[in-house]
Amino acid sequence: MNYQFAWSVLWSGQTGTWLLQGVLVTLEISALGWLVAVVLGILSGALRTAPIAPLRWLAAAYVEFFRNVPLLVWMFFWYFSMPPLLPNALQDWLLDHSAEFWAGVCALGVYHGARFSEVIRAGIRSIPKTQFEAAVSTGLTVFQAYRLIIVPIALRLIVPPATNETLNLLKNSSVALTISVAELTFQTRQIETYTAKAFEALAAGTLIYLALCLAIAAVMSQVERRVAIPGMIARGRQSGEF
Amino acid sequence: MKRLSLIWLAVMFFLGNAGLVRAETTLERIDKSGTLTIGTRRGSPPFAYVNQGNDWVGFSIDLVEKAIVPAINKKLNKQVKVEKKESTPQTRIPLLTANSVDLIAETMTDTQARRDSVDFSLTFFVTGAQFLVKKGSPIKGIQSIANRRVAAQQGSTNAKIVRERVPTAKLLEFPDQPAAFQALAQGQVQAYTNDGIQLTGLRAKAPKPDDWAVVGEFFSYEPYGMAMRKNDSDFRQVVNVGLMDAISTGLYFDIYEKWFGTKGEVPYPLSAETKRFLQMQVVPK
Repeated sequence: MNYQFAWSVLWSGQTGTWLLQGVLVTLEISALGWLVAVVLGILSGALRTAPIAPLRWLAAAYVEFFRNVPLLVWMFFWYFSMPPLLPNALQDWLLDHSAEFWAGVCALGVYHGARFSEVIRAGIRSIPKTQFEAAVSTGLTVFQAYRLIIVPIALRLIVPPATNETLNLLKNSSVALTISVAELTFQTRQIETYTAKAFEALAAGTLIYLALCLAIAAVMSQVERRVAIPGMIARGRQSGEF
Repeated sequence: MKRLSLIWLAVMFFLGNAGLVRAETTLERIDKSGTLTIGTRRGSPPFAYVNQGNDWVGFSIDLVEKAIVPAINKKLNKQVKVEKKESTPQTRIPLLTANSVDLIAETMTDTQARRDSVDFSLTFFVTGAQFLVKKGSPIKGIQSIANRRVAAQQGSTNAKIVRERVPTAKLLEFPDQPAAFQALAQGQVQAYTNDGIQLTGLRAKAPKPDDWAVVGEFFSYEPYGMAMRKNDSDFRQVVNVGLMDAISTGLYFDIYEKWFGTKGEVPYPLSAETKRFLQMQVVPK
């Protein structure tokens, strides 16, 4: 291959600062998007198993609509189609205050919320029906049974698939570059523009995503260990598994 | 430990593999396959785009097909075909170095930084950065963009200059021309900066060209060149001979007239100065 590698472009000049800024923006947009997604996911996941049919339909409609439209389309929707619906003054204010960032948070939040919803529904479905009946028979209302018994147990059961969704969300945050959010992938492209060193820039981006994902996976694995409910999962942790 | 050394071996193989075989020259590759593969654009009229008949056409593509291919044919003594692939500002250098394409023929500005990674042909078009705005906009050029929202294309030299010269401008960088234009049309940004000729092309293709204006003096110098893999001077020589012949025989100016003449896709008259510059790049036979 006729290519001169020059890894020093990654730390000479401004490139180091750009990568750092990119990491920060990626973490910010992912963290906020994750919060939106988890809240929407818990709500709609719980509603999908609720004993009231119209609530189930509502939640099902949300999930099917939002997860079956590509994320890229959601990015364009929140950035290009939402602001014109707002009053002019608010629109101007938003556009001067990183509208693209908030549009990215909304897009990631609603899209991954629909996916989280399915994870949570699966968690709730895995809880024996008798648990719910027992909760109601102690005098709790349906809402209380969900809030105090069903959802907390479900959340402790779904840590592994939720980790998966979280990692997907982090990586999908790169789609926000299409609406000009200066996140990590955007910055690697910027480095390529300034230095014409595409391989080095992409390699740096790849390694940073890998490191972020491994860190999240490690934290979530600790969480999983800590919140596991003894006796709820039939097979315990095997030795050698990590 | 054993597992570790196996991984190490795999990494070494992956990294070192490319270096073991002697690199084939571009002319050898073209001779063997009978095909010149170019990296070009689907959406950069009038330089390179896919037209309504679903064909790749444009000024840069015409230069390859009418000026450079005949030079290659003559050199290799056979008829070569042209294959076209999409290349973006982010992918064009990797596409070249990975041997996926042999020549980048689109709207690539020749810069010193890029010359560290690729080689360029002689300059085949000269333009500079300007702004596209709604007609009647208070923005008149780079002097009036402070504190305003300005769109640029990711990976373009213009974004870099705006960032350096007017740090207070709020720069929003979009991956492609349509997204940036959408942002301008919707009011997300107040101006869109790109090379003047591309803005003129975009305006000509817009649903209502009269609603838009290309404003400002050139605030950058953007000489377009065709990029090739580094250190392959035989191929570069053939490409340059093709371009020089086209300029000296007048073929270049016919193609220019076709795309940029008064009846062309994007009327953009060639200045006497630019014409002279093009002619002076032609060295004697």
